[in-house]
Amino acid sequence: MCSDFHRAESGTELLARLEGRSSLKEIEPHLFADEESPVHGDILEFHGAEGTGKTEMLYHLTARCILPKSEGGLEVEVVFIDTDYHFDMLRLVTVLEHRLSQSSEEAVRHCLGRLFLLYCGGSTQLLLTLCSLQTMLCSHPSVCLLILDSLSAFYWIDRANGGESVNLQESTLKKCAHLLEKLVNEYRLVLFATTQSIMQKASNPEEGPSCAFNRPSDVDVDYRPYLCKAWQQVVKRRILFSKQNDSKAGNQFSLVSRHLKSNNLKKHFFTIGESGVEFC
Amino acid sequence: MLTTCALLICPGKEKVDVVELVSADLEEVAQKCGLSYKALVALRRVLLAQFSAFPFNGADLYEELKTTTAILSTGIGSLDKLLDAGLYTGEVTEIVGAPGSGKTQVCLCVAANVAHGLQQNVLYIDSNGGLTASRILQLLQARTLDEEEQAGALQRIQVVRAFDIFQMLGALQDLRGAVSQQVRSSSGTLKVVVVDSVAAVVAPLLGGQQREGLALMVQLARELKTLARDLSVAVLVTNHMTRDRDSGQLKPALGRSWSFVPSTRLLLDSTQGSGSLGSRRVACLTKSPRLPTGCQETVDLGSWGTPAFQGDHKGHWEQSPVFQGDHT
Repeated sequence: MCSDFHRAESGTELLARLEGRSSLKEIEPHLFADEESPVHGDILEFHGAEGTGKTEMLYHLTARCILPKSEGGLEVEVVFIDTDYHFDMLRLVTVLEHRLSQSSEEAVRHCLGRLFLLYCGGSTQLLLTLCSLQTMLCSHPSVCLLILDSLSAFYWIDRANGGESVNLQESTLKKCAHLLEKLVNEYRLVLFATTQSIMQKASNPEEGPSCAFNRPSDVDVDYRPYLCKAWQQVVKRRILFSKQNDSKAGNQFSLVSRHLKSNNLKKHFFTIGESGVEFC
Repeated sequence: MLTTCALLICPGKEKVDVVELVSADLEEVAQKCGLSYKALVALRRVLLAQFSAFPFNGADLYEELKTTTAILSTGIGSLDKLLDAGLYTGEVTEIVGAPGSGKTQVCLCVAANVAHGLQQNVLYIDSNGGLTASRILQLLQARTLDEEEQAGALQRIQVVRAFDIFQMLGALQDLRGAVSQQVRSSSGTLKVVVVDSVAAVVAPLLGGQQREGLALMVQLARELKTLARDLSVAVLVTNHMTRDRDSGQLKPALGRSWSFVPSTRLLLDSTQGSGSLGSRRVACLTKSPRLPTGCQETVDLGSWGTPAFQGDHKGHWEQSPVFQGDHT
């Protein structure tokens, strides 16, 4: 179906694909300063351990997108792919209710009408879903944001199923990474994908991911790549999340945003309240 | 759900799998496996229609959740406060603590409360040997003296023993089978699945270089989460503590990959308060999708059913169903 579309794309389909994808420049001024705003075709990876605020950040960005312009939102549609049944609709509704000036059921339902959720049970289903997403994107020209929470959910299952060959273990995820890049470029979307920090910190960076060595390391370098190279190559910007364990700082979180080509590093702090993420 | 790749075998030609069929160039695939291009296009369309995820609209999903989500009180006021009114259906809640901290007691209390107070069914998967019918009976006897009510509540608690991960996965599969065949019991619907404990069946699989162990753990995690969502039940699991290699601090067992699984985590601590010989525990909320973490409440185990047990050794009170102890 993918190649069919390319061969016989009509004028209307072309317009549907290119026109009307609004800019996400204003999505989060605290996180993305002007020059670094996520542009069409950007792939951003949120990486961090459990409880560091990645999913809350996704709810924050989703709320920013689906809220109407009158309430300070961007009024665009969002496609949210959930791979580990982690998505909490009630939490998103709470965030929306706090941000709407008039939090009636109607208003909330109206916002939620701009959100599409897909649950994937395995990496093969993820691949099939991404393939059939093209039809959906054609018929919904106002989708600007694609969220994938999380990309690393099938990591151990894929490794066990692939036997001894690392290529076989990573093959489906590799195809998913290529397909994501294609989707994001062709349909001018921005992709936020989360990956969980599931590997122990290593003292020796050359050791394999299953090593058991530990040494306290600086949060800035607490990134152990374990997903396939194909994915690491399509990521444009990596954002590392961590939680401050400082008791006087309260429940404060921090994130370090690194642009992979320019190696630009930026640090931001935020807290999480009833209404979601609040930058400090 | 498509969990394994299907193979197309055409005599004399190469095999093609599902992944290749949807992502590769169909003309090349047609040459490789001998089927016609048109047949492959049709096949691809069917595969995508059948197996790719269905896009739910947020508004529809919210409407559905409003009607199917329930909050089940644990029967313990201080825990309900930490859990924002109780156990939420559709979610996995974890209770973590050292041996003797009261995890099994909390599970038994939840089972008794849901079966008697809320008149709903409970599936209790025991992998620890910590559940005894007499203890549940004691908890029920503290709630009502009516023997018929006690018997009715006991009937609503289904107990399955599972001492390794395959038995546990099997029990969950059986549950799905029973629900899909619409085996209805006259006494209520299943609302809570208790797994005591998940660490007992997963910990032996971890460690070393075994990938399969982690894959099995992740598979169990997915089963529990999808069960919670699909059947609208609250899943309550218990987990041990281990020491962190670096800092020597106690942390929940089963590693980082498991830490992402529960939506809510309660830590039961027996070292504070009146010491380990008492029945007081401190429960701390360490993970929550709704409330800020770090809140603490005191839980008095001695106030449920028969008064406090003596000693804190796990083996001691779990094996003997009748306790002698002080009233606290």
